[in-house]
Amino acid sequence: MRVGSKHPDSKLGLDRSAAGRLRRFAGWVTVVVFIFPLAYLLWGSMTINGGFLAGTSVDTITAPLARSLLLASAAAVVGTVLGTSMAWLVTRTDLPGKRIWQAVVALPLVIPSYVGAAGLRAAFGQGGLIPWVPRPTGFWGSLLVLSALTYPYVYLPVAARLGGMASSLEDAARLLGDQGSKVLRRIVLPQIQPAMLAGGLIVFLYALSDFGAVSLMRYDTITRAIFASRLADKGTALTLGLMLAIVAIGVALVERRLSSRGDHVVIEGGRPRMYELGPLRRWAAGAVGAVVAMALLAPISVFVVWWVRGSLALGMGYSGLGESLSLLVAPARNSAIAGVVAGGAAMVVLLPAAYLTARRATVVGAVSNIVIAAAFALPGLVIALAVVYWILQAPEAIAGLYQGFPLLVLVYVVHFGVQSHRASVGAVAALPARYGEAARVLGAGSTRRFFTVDLPLIGPGVLAGGGLVMLSTLKELPATLLLAPIGFDTLATRVWGASEDGFLSEVGVTSLTLILLSGFLTWLLVLRPTKATALQ
Amino acid sequence: MKKLTIALVLTAITVSACGGATDGGLVVYSGRTENLVGPLFEDFTEQTGIAVEVRYGQSADLALLIQQEGDRSPADVFISQSPGAIGLLAGENLLAKLSDETGALVPVEYRNTSREWIGLSGRVRVVVYNSDLVDGSELPASVFDLVEPRYRGRVALAPANGSFQDFVTGMREVHGDELTLSWLTAMDDNESPTYANNTAIVQAVARGEVEMGLVNHYYNLRALAEDPSLPSVNHFFEDVGSLVIITAIGILDSSSDVEKAEELVRFLLSPRSQQFFSEETFEYPLATGSQATAELTDLVDLQVMTYDFEDLSGGLTRTKELIDASGLEAP
Repeated sequence: MRVGSKHPDSKLGLDRSAAGRLRRFAGWVTVVVFIFPLAYLLWGSMTINGGFLAGTSVDTITAPLARSLLLASAAAVVGTVLGTSMAWLVTRTDLPGKRIWQAVVALPLVIPSYVGAAGLRAAFGQGGLIPWVPRPTGFWGSLLVLSALTYPYVYLPVAARLGGMASSLEDAARLLGDQGSKVLRRIVLPQIQPAMLAGGLIVFLYALSDFGAVSLMRYDTITRAIFASRLADKGTALTLGLMLAIVAIGVALVERRLSSRGDHVVIEGGRPRMYELGPLRRWAAGAVGAVVAMALLAPISVFVVWWVRGSLALGMGYSGLGESLSLLVAPARNSAIAGVVAGGAAMVVLLPAAYLTARRATVVGAVSNIVIAAAFALPGLVIALAVVYWILQAPEAIAGLYQGFPLLVLVYVVHFGVQSHRASVGAVAALPARYGEAARVLGAGSTRRFFTVDLPLIGPGVLAGGGLVMLSTLKELPATLLLAPIGFDTLATRVWGASEDGFLSEVGVTSLTLILLSGFLTWLLVLRPTKATALQ
Repeated sequence: MKKLTIALVLTAITVSACGGATDGGLVVYSGRTENLVGPLFEDFTEQTGIAVEVRYGQSADLALLIQQEGDRSPADVFISQSPGAIGLLAGENLLAKLSDETGALVPVEYRNTSREWIGLSGRVRVVVYNSDLVDGSELPASVFDLVEPRYRGRVALAPANGSFQDFVTGMREVHGDELTLSWLTAMDDNESPTYANNTAIVQAVARGEVEMGLVNHYYNLRALAEDPSLPSVNHFFEDVGSLVIITAIGILDSSSDVEKAEELVRFLLSPRSQQFFSEETFEYPLATGSQATAELTDLVDLQVMTYDFEDLSGGLTRTKELIDASGLEAP
């Protein structure tokens, strides 16, 4: 058993070694790259259409902005509660059917919100699959879709944390006479709190920037105003985008303050403690089942109905089915490549910034923490236009990257980087200082210390973050449409193309493929390796 | 794991090497989706040997992209689902003028005056209604009837959608800004529910969530093709309510291969392509002498209005201001 205090290096002050300098340099490079969309928004909202808010009256903005904030806050709370409870039940209890739940609970994340919203509206209410359940609409409908599709942003990092905590402290507390609920509150909760906050922040930012779900649920938020004015009044659209970024910065600052409270004890080594649910076992399984039914089964049922009904009506026989599936092979391959490369790149690119943020000794750590969060609050279209703007100003050698695959990956990393960054920050903050100190005393160089001491311990958390970026990339639409190499179809762009003109059977089969592919990739690249390291 | 990583990196490099335009080919930014136009590009390549690479997206987003790219745009041709987006580019002098010969392929009302864009096919604005809930005798003859109390809360609109905005621009041209604004305000006062887009309205009407909705005629025909049991029916107005929304094509001023691009435009207006639009995508072909399928009401019988955005001061921006001023956006 090892006990160590959090934030080991913060007490040492600035790390003046070569590795420390390199890390800070990498951190500043990250800040510069991530600040490009913000700089574009600032420039655009000041210069287009006569300057800041020239074409908009403040009154028309305050109400939608208030609604955006209300929805995003509610989604963050519901998503955090759902994600944390599910993570607890799946990783630390004798919940029946755990293996199945493990494989499916993260999947709602890959359903694009406009498809999920259309699916849930078709599933319930008059003329739907289940007519006696009211059709989701308005604020509550938006909250339902957004929390159902985004709780995995909390679930994955919290589950990674819970699965990596040794049982020793919990056992000790029990020996000293603490009851189950008190152990949870005093021992477990403080350790997963940073992961919960980070996940909640991501849900908040997602809900803030979402247009698909709220527009179909007919809830008028700020993104509707951005969407409706983007062509006719671009200056207003950019100004409103800037407001989203400002909100994101404020919320990221609050999150940082909250997660810095307390000096938590972190324990490593040994297996996590398992709790018995006893008579609650069935209820717990029922609750997890209900969430999965709403978030996954309901939309999947609608996709199946659309697919089958459309295929019958359009007279697609066996050969037609084969043909429609073969058309999905290339998009599925492209989606997998984009998702895996973006997830992998995000893990690597954001690790230095994550170290800096977690250790709290540097300005660059605090600044990168904010700009990385802001990039996720912006609609994908804004990020894409920002990239177009800057890259085409650049010299020919850089401009030549335009609409190429590496640039697309960079856009994914910038847009979704916060998911990887926060997961890695949590993992690094939980590193016990003693290991590193011991290795240093024994003369291990910083590179060797990283690979032999840090990496095995932070691995699961970092990987969970990369998994989130991968899943987000799989459903990304606006930036992919505008910036992918021409002809680089993904499953998400296919779903969009089909839904745009009402080809519902194609929406159905393509969405099902997207969910299956995501499930497979999550199992292959996130769940399986994590399990392997946990057993070592 | 290592092997997997190496394989992925190699694939990534291969993929990135494939990017960029093929030499001698055309790059098209298409605001209409692959299902509705893709096969025609393949036919074109087969017939002419000219390769075509297509980027699909929403018309408004692609227009913004072209605007941002300026003279460095890799695109040669832009296809816009509606005149609003392409009109914006024409207004900023980003489009090249089409030849007389190409311009003459459609009646003069289906292209803009300065011949920077030309119509390929048309969709007609209609009211889609649920025949289980609405009696035929209740249907409006004019779009202005919809402000009456008997339609209160029964007619869905999609004010953020491009085709609704283009319809409003058309109404401004025919009836002026003042009447248009009062119609929009009256529709809002009449508690017309607002939806995200055409597809959402057609689905809501088919499910009985709302009784009627203003959409393009195409979406209900598509929905019925996928599920013939639906009770949704299109009804045409006898006035500006049944405006033709044109799918338009234009050549970018920055294109290095205007001749090939015009060849593509002419190909899409050839009898064969026009037949594809009418038979495969349920739309009105616009080339002179082309015929809509029997299932569609004849364009001539509809007394439809067409319009020219550049004649209209303020264009789309002014339309957006009127919609905002009417209060229609709030749910």
